Amino acid sequence: MSDDYALEVDHLAVEFDTYGGIVQAVRDVSFKLRRGTTLAIVGESGCGKSVTVQSLMGLIPMPPGRITRGSASLGGDELLGISPQALNAIRGKRVGMIFQDPMSALNPTMTVGRQIAETLIVHRKLSGTAAREEVLRLLHLVQIPEPHKRMAQYPFEFSGGMLQRAMIAMSLACQPEVLIADEPTTALDVTIQAQILLLLRELQRTQGLSIILITHDLAVVARMAHDVAVMYAGQIVESGSVDDIFYRSAHPYTLGLRGAMPGNDPDKKALRVIPGSPPDLFAPPPGCAFADRCEYAMQLCHRQPPPPNFGTAHQSLCWLHHAQAPASPVTGMLQVAATQHSPEGAC
Amino acid sequence: MSSELTAEDFSPARDLSQAERIVRPSLSYWQDAWVRLKRNRRALASLYLVIALLLFTLLGPLLWTQDHTLQDLDAISQGPSLGHLALVVEDSANWPGVSGAALPAAAGAELGAPANVAVEGLATTQYVRLTWSAVPGAQHYLIYRNDHAPESDQDLGLPLGQTFTNEERSFEDRLQLREQSYWYSVIASDGLIEADSFTTREVAVQRAITYSQALERGFEPAVGERVMLPSHPFGTDYLGRDMLARIMEGARVSLFIGVVSPLLFVLAGVVYGGISGFFGGAIDTVMMRIADFVIALPFLLFMILFRISFGIGPGESGIFPMLLALVLLRWPDTARLVRGQVLQIRGEAYVQAAKMLGARPSYLIMRHMVPNTLGPILVTLTFAIPMAIFTEAFLSFIGMGVSPPTPSWGSMSNEGLRTMLSSPHELLFPSIFISLTVLAFNLLGDGLRDALDSRLRSRE
Amino acid sequence: MLIEAIALRKFFPLAGGGQVHAVDDVSLGIAEHEVVGLVGESGSGKTTFGKTLIGLHDKTAGSVRYRGATLPAVYHAADFKRQAAEIQMIFQDPYSSLNPRMTIFEIIAEGLRVREGLSLRATRDKVVYWLERVGLHADHLGRYPHEFSGGQRQRVGIARALIVEPRLLVCDEPISALDVSVQAQVVQLLAELKASMGLSMLFIAHDLSMVRYVSDRMAVMYLGSLVELGPAEDVYFRPLHPYTQLLIASNPEADPEHERNREDKLIEGEIPSPVDLKPVCRFAGRCPLAEERCFRERPVLREVAPGRLAACHLL
Repeated sequence: MSDDYALEVDHLAVEFDTYGGIVQAVRDVSFKLRRGTTLAIVGESGCGKSVTVQSLMGLIPMPPGRITRGSASLGGDELLGISPQALNAIRGKRVGMIFQDPMSALNPTMTVGRQIAETLIVHRKLSGTAAREEVLRLLHLVQIPEPHKRMAQYPFEFSGGMLQRAMIAMSLACQPEVLIADEPTTALDVTIQAQILLLLRELQRTQGLSIILITHDLAVVARMAHDVAVMYAGQIVESGSVDDIFYRSAHPYTLGLRGAMPGNDPDKKALRVIPGSPPDLFAPPPGCAFADRCEYAMQLCHRQPPPPNFGTAHQSLCWLHHAQAPASPVTGMLQVAATQHSPEGAC
Repeated sequence: MSSELTAEDFSPARDLSQAERIVRPSLSYWQDAWVRLKRNRRALASLYLVIALLLFTLLGPLLWTQDHTLQDLDAISQGPSLGHLALVVEDSANWPGVSGAALPAAAGAELGAPANVAVEGLATTQYVRLTWSAVPGAQHYLIYRNDHAPESDQDLGLPLGQTFTNEERSFEDRLQLREQSYWYSVIASDGLIEADSFTTREVAVQRAITYSQALERGFEPAVGERVMLPSHPFGTDYLGRDMLARIMEGARVSLFIGVVSPLLFVLAGVVYGGISGFFGGAIDTVMMRIADFVIALPFLLFMILFRISFGIGPGESGIFPMLLALVLLRWPDTARLVRGQVLQIRGEAYVQAAKMLGARPSYLIMRHMVPNTLGPILVTLTFAIPMAIFTEAFLSFIGMGVSPPTPSWGSMSNEGLRTMLSSPHELLFPSIFISLTVLAFNLLGDGLRDALDSRLRSRE
Repeated sequence: MLIEAIALRKFFPLAGGGQVHAVDDVSLGIAEHEVVGLVGESGSGKTTFGKTLIGLHDKTAGSVRYRGATLPAVYHAADFKRQAAEIQMIFQDPYSSLNPRMTIFEIIAEGLRVREGLSLRATRDKVVYWLERVGLHADHLGRYPHEFSGGQRQRVGIARALIVEPRLLVCDEPISALDVSVQAQVVQLLAELKASMGLSMLFIAHDLSMVRYVSDRMAVMYLGSLVELGPAEDVYFRPLHPYTQLLIASNPEADPEHERNREDKLIEGEIPSPVDLKPVCRFAGRCPLAEERCFRERPVLREVAPGRLAACHLL
């Protein structure tokens, strides 16, 4: 099974100590990244999507943060709870990461070429000359014009889009299996965003890259993803293929997100809005975290958290899929609807 | 675990009232900073230390009532001690001494040593009166004192003096007597050389004060009784003044200068920097060049100039010129800091929003800019205090600060230098206090900066 | 026209000489009860235009008329005060648009400072009214900005601006820093306020797709100039200028099938720097349809169809 998946995460939970108490930033997250495809994790700010991937990479300071549960397997190798040296060997080499703000990810006092070369020298043990050649090749790969000139420039001389390309080049330097892109285009103009997304798709095609894409924008998801995990309040509320999510939405939150998206439908005159704001994970509500904002909320939803359903590729964490639940826009959207919340129907 | 689910459970219960709920307790900027500060143990410890120092300075003199100006020349440079019992003796009248006829030299005989050396009356810290029997052929006698038994005639100790005539056979020692044993040696001299042999007597000296001194200190003395002399937990200085009382008084001086001058120059800096940053442009440029000029002035030189031009007369403490110099020369640092902050805040959206609402410059400064710069200003103040304290101590140490008898930790350290080897406590205590105070404020400043620096973390 | 910019120019001098042509000869008007969406990417000058229009920047050239009267070229505090009850603004960055040391109540009530003499009770009532109008609760009054999400902070900013009931609201990229789902909340709120208050708005943004839900007309800016102007639906569904067309085409849509099948029509290259621009078509360097004329002569914004203005030689 691990050959099909580049990365598997199981029941990850991360919490933080704050002065007021414990914040459960990630409550129970599981997903699988199929090799050579893109998995999009989509959700609003604060839902825990960044914390999830950062904790996989050991980027969360461990006090005040804490991984309380879960495992993560990178092609068979465990990622959580390993020594810092082991993690260092994986980071950069087998998993690359790009961030929302490339300016803060790059050292302003080193030329771009030198920074990329550094990764090559450290991880791939290339000599100076070989590294320089490789840097040129990488800059060319990410379609930065005049790579010779750009190599010797400092980050402040690059525009936002260029910087993002440079960061992609740096993350690809070690030919990683997996690329984690944490909101890579959120800060970019829409025309530049289109260029970067196209670049990522091309790289996936030519390099066989598996990508985890974090975003809050469903349109970007539609453009880029093969599989999708919708995250809300520290949990994955719906997951499935991109067609499942968009054409067979099985969770009211997903419906809400789609309703809030602007589109090219001339008949859609107004946006449908999800009222309210996500709950504070300092004190998660006892039932379903979305119940306070849900149009279809039932008594039960406020009291008990919905059970996960097993055995289907398209999953949704919602009471509306219970046999006794009344009809709603999400009814029947899952291939096999769960009828119990005991684990007997597991795969 | 799975309970029966009824139809009721699935009835619609849409409730948007909780949709925008905020759960966490609300903390203002200062409350948040306080919580952070408390969690920083080093900063908390230094805060306690600062509070302790302040209490020491303000309340100390109420509890420790010894007069810091009272000199007791009988008790100079004493180490830290608790109270001693002292005998009350009569005020010493002139002692005529003992004389007698000189004995002629025995023919052909070498000069000998006195047959015996005796103490007349009690040997006290007021005086030790020695008498001895005459040595034939002696022209005069030399008296030595040592704090151990002499092993040879090279080891007789401190020469106390010699008699003038060969008839005098007594000596009164009043030199820095302490409560301990001394070995007095009397040796005869024929006018040219000393004898080869000498006589030694061990004398145990008792602590005593005279009747008048006891009266002065508020006792109701009776001669022959013992009274309890006050304790000196930090010892006494070279004039017999109680160190603890002096340190407390010095604390007042040091902290006064150390706190008041930063308050003043930080205030000046805030106003100056605020105006400069707010108006920007040419005004800002000119004001900042003036500030640069002031920074470039050599501090020590100006301090001395101030001192001289103010002319410290007798009885003046020298506090005011120092205060003035510190304020006039140190404000530009804060001015620069505040100006930078103001420049940054000026561009923030909430200031522009207030402008759009029709706010006047004075409102913008007071309501928006100053509160948001208070954090860094407080930190600057907390670091300015140890700097001022140390500057004052240093200047007093080199004699350019407050003048005696006004005590200051710096001048006390200077005085302690002289007796550094024999009575180190005179140097140790003021230096320790300077170090502790400066350290405490610096650590507190560090902790405050960390606590206040957090741009308040948002939910996301 | 409620407010009208006539040949407005704003240049910034550069330290080493030369000028940044942030806003270069823009004429745009907003009618009473009308929302005009002003769209452009970074460097287009849209924010500078908005700020210059209402006095936060000094005008380099050109003029602005508000209800017939010419507004001052350089503003002082008194000018802002005079205009405060008529024109207000909401800002882009929710994290710096609210003073972190003030409570929500104080922030919103600040707007009422223009109207002196209001009792504490009346002030509080008004503040609560507007707080609830933007979808928050009265028990948020005593809290501080850092406790709120970006979307909630923007709503506080809207309450602050609208409590004085202005005629014109300039919105400087109010949704750019927000998640898409939250953007919808703010856009919906503004649309609803426009309908109930008859508010005129200048809505500055870099994304046409959101803006069209609240705009009556839309204007597109590139490197300091207007390139297209017309009714919102028309500009969005039937764009005339090549830049507008490519801008819309770059936007992905929330429809996987559509995205799989569409061609990748991209604009090549980067946005050039707006320093010392020549009088030629600004877009010529990146335009797939550029002709020789485009590199010689600057096109003028003119009516190329009824109610549709565009600045292109090819139309």
